[in-house]
Amino acid sequence: MKPALIIAAGEWRFWLRSKLGVAALILGFVLITTSLVANSARVGAERASRDSLQTAAEETFRNQPDRHPHRMVHYGHYVFRAPAPLAVVDPGVDPYTGTVMFLEGHHQNSATFAPAFSGARAGALARLTPAMAYQLLVPLVLIVIGFASMAREREGGTDRQLLTAGVAPHDIWLGKVIALLGVSAALLFPLVLAASQALFAGESFVVTTTFIVGYAVYLTVWALMIAAVSTSTRQLSTSLMALMVLWLALCLMVPPVVASFARMASPMPSKIEADLEVAVALREQGDGHNANDPAFNRLRANLLEQYGVHHVEDLPINFRGVVAEAAEADLTDTMNTFAEKKLAGEVAQARVQHWLSLLSPQLAVRHFSMTLASTDLAQHHRFTREAEAARFSFVQGLNRVHAEQMTYTDDINRSRDKGAEQRTRVSAENWRVLDEFRFAPAPASDRLAGSSLFLLVLLLWAAGFAALGRARALALTEAAHA
Amino acid sequence: MSSMAIEATDLCVERGQARVLSDVTFSVAKGDVFALLGGNGAGKSTTLLTFLGFLAPASGEAKVLGQDVQADKKFVHQQSAYLPEAANLYPHLTARENLDYFLALAGVSQTPEDIEAALDHVSLREDARGQRLETYSKGMRQKVAIALAILRKAPILFLDEPTSGLDPVAIDEFNALISKLAESGTTVLMVTHDVYGACQVARRVGLLRRGQLVGLFEAPEGGRISPDEVHQAFAKEHQQ
Ligand SMILES: Nc1ncnc2c1ncn2[C@@H]1O[C@H](COP(=O)(O)OP(=O)(O)O)[C@@H](O)[C@H]1O
Ligand SMILES: [Mg+2]
Repeated sequence: MKPALIIAAGEWRFWLRSKLGVAALILGFVLITTSLVANSARVGAERASRDSLQTAAEETFRNQPDRHPHRMVHYGHYVFRAPAPLAVVDPGVDPYTGTVMFLEGHHQNSATFAPAFSGARAGALARLTPAMAYQLLVPLVLIVIGFASMAREREGGTDRQLLTAGVAPHDIWLGKVIALLGVSAALLFPLVLAASQALFAGESFVVTTTFIVGYAVYLTVWALMIAAVSTSTRQLSTSLMALMVLWLALCLMVPPVVASFARMASPMPSKIEADLEVAVALREQGDGHNANDPAFNRLRANLLEQYGVHHVEDLPINFRGVVAEAAEADLTDTMNTFAEKKLAGEVAQARVQHWLSLLSPQLAVRHFSMTLASTDLAQHHRFTREAEAARFSFVQGLNRVHAEQMTYTDDINRSRDKGAEQRTRVSAENWRVLDEFRFAPAPASDRLAGSSLFLLVLLLWAAGFAALGRARALALTEAAHA
Repeated sequence: MSSMAIEATDLCVERGQARVLSDVTFSVAKGDVFALLGGNGAGKSTTLLTFLGFLAPASGEAKVLGQDVQADKKFVHQQSAYLPEAANLYPHLTARENLDYFLALAGVSQTPEDIEAALDHVSLREDARGQRLETYSKGMRQKVAIALAILRKAPILFLDEPTSGLDPVAIDEFNALISKLAESGTTVLMVTHDVYGACQVARRVGLLRRGQLVGLFEAPEGGRISPDEVHQAFAKEHQQ
């Protein structure tokens, strides 16, 4: 057997005989498994409920009785964001952004019902996602298991026994790394199971595999970091201290600092300020409910000229419907401008965060994971846009019905004249303008492309610690002058 | 190639800021036993560590089988077995497991019978052989370390105070073992406090004082070094 493999096997035997190693390993599995089971149950329930709520919302809308189409514009409709298959591992921003949106005429509502806020009372562990377990806690487990790997040999003098047995220093180091990679692989097993569950839920094979590989590379970074630090220290206590400081810095301190830096680097107005700005802009536009609003004079003139008539009553279409349609289009234009500005601001912050993920492998794997799982901010933005497109489409569909299926005269007299009121009720058949809304994960190729940069960052970290650890190991035989 | 297995030529070694070996020159022929005597801090362990390449000479040369140690440490490690001052073995492993492990790493294949025989040679209690070293006394650990050094079947042995912690009977058995190994061609450089034992097994004895080789005794043809002579020299040096 190769010396490195003998060393690795020896390391495993040490762990299995030390209570600390076994306890850490068991704790790691328990944390991962409970978070996976809890999260997968939650995501499964949410998927099922959002799916049935979506279908129910669509049926309710279509089953509305015959009525005036504008009432349906205000009746509104709900769309739900279905969780992506890999959300069982990484729900990403889903729990913090809304997952339901109420669609109605003249307004762009923000998504509501963020599960994290309703579940906040259930305690911190209730929100421990498998992604967090792997990103934050598994490295800690690896540290507890591996901090002693080389420091133990150096403190006990067995390093010299190994070296004088003719084992090359890089083989000792490699053996320790292999042993830690073995632990990582074992701890990765539940993730592989969960990811295969995602595969059955329709996730792409390449995405699923890359997802697992990314986490494997992340744990490899930690294994190499631990081996490098343990090789650089003469004492067990120093090794443990150094690794704990690194963990605190990379996992707990850098991420929030990066987030605040991103907020400072591209500041965004508060929600109140932003809403006020939209309200001011909208005040300058005509009210689509009032066809006599001077804002629509020009539209009226154009129409009259187009059809060669002198009065709106003589138009072959209902002018009020035309106004509603035009007003909605204008309004949407304005609202979209502001909405896109907001999204662009969030994207700018996210971009700063993406670049700063070079600073911590935890940041890199977090972005990697959310991007591949299709649960990142970009997907929330896509949901917002798709929901808005659905809103605009059904509202304008109804406005078209409003314009085409009744006369202007009936429409303005409907509150005074029973007959007119009856004639402005259109058939419920028209409620079929509503398209089915199903939010699907982003295309696999987009996600693979988007996550590749973060994978590269992780590989760079791994290469750095591999080089450092190997160099430190080679220094073990370098004669000490002191 | 020189017929000398171990050679120190004007060896100077510094540790920290202090010079702990000054112009040490001696050599050990193949199949000879050389014992290095000296008080605490005289530089005995330093000498061994320099021959193993763990310390670099400030000047001078340390050679093993004609090869400069600093130039090829791997060669030195393959040709030699080292018994450290403290028996550095794994407390979580049994005697047998420790031996199996290090022998596998050294690429030396030994049968379980060989291993039992070596443990017999150092007279480690049979019932203790399957117990973890964390339950051992210092002397028992020392016996396992000696067994390992022997089982390595290396042509050269570097032994740092091999008999420390051993009871008188075990010391006698150890000395007999070293003599037998030397007869079969093994070269031994050992550091010891035990003047009588050293004179019993070594063909030459060096006396180290504050990093300097202050005395060299050689056994007459077919005879032994007189322990009294060495003892006197040792005591005299100690007084200075
Ligand atoms: N790690 C070290 N760093 C600095 N000085 C040391 C170190 N180890 C030993 N020394 C010094 O080197 C000298 C020789 O030590 P050593 O060779 O261990 O002595 P011996 O084995 O003969 O008792 C002593 O003065 C000791 O203080
Ligand atoms: Mg010593």
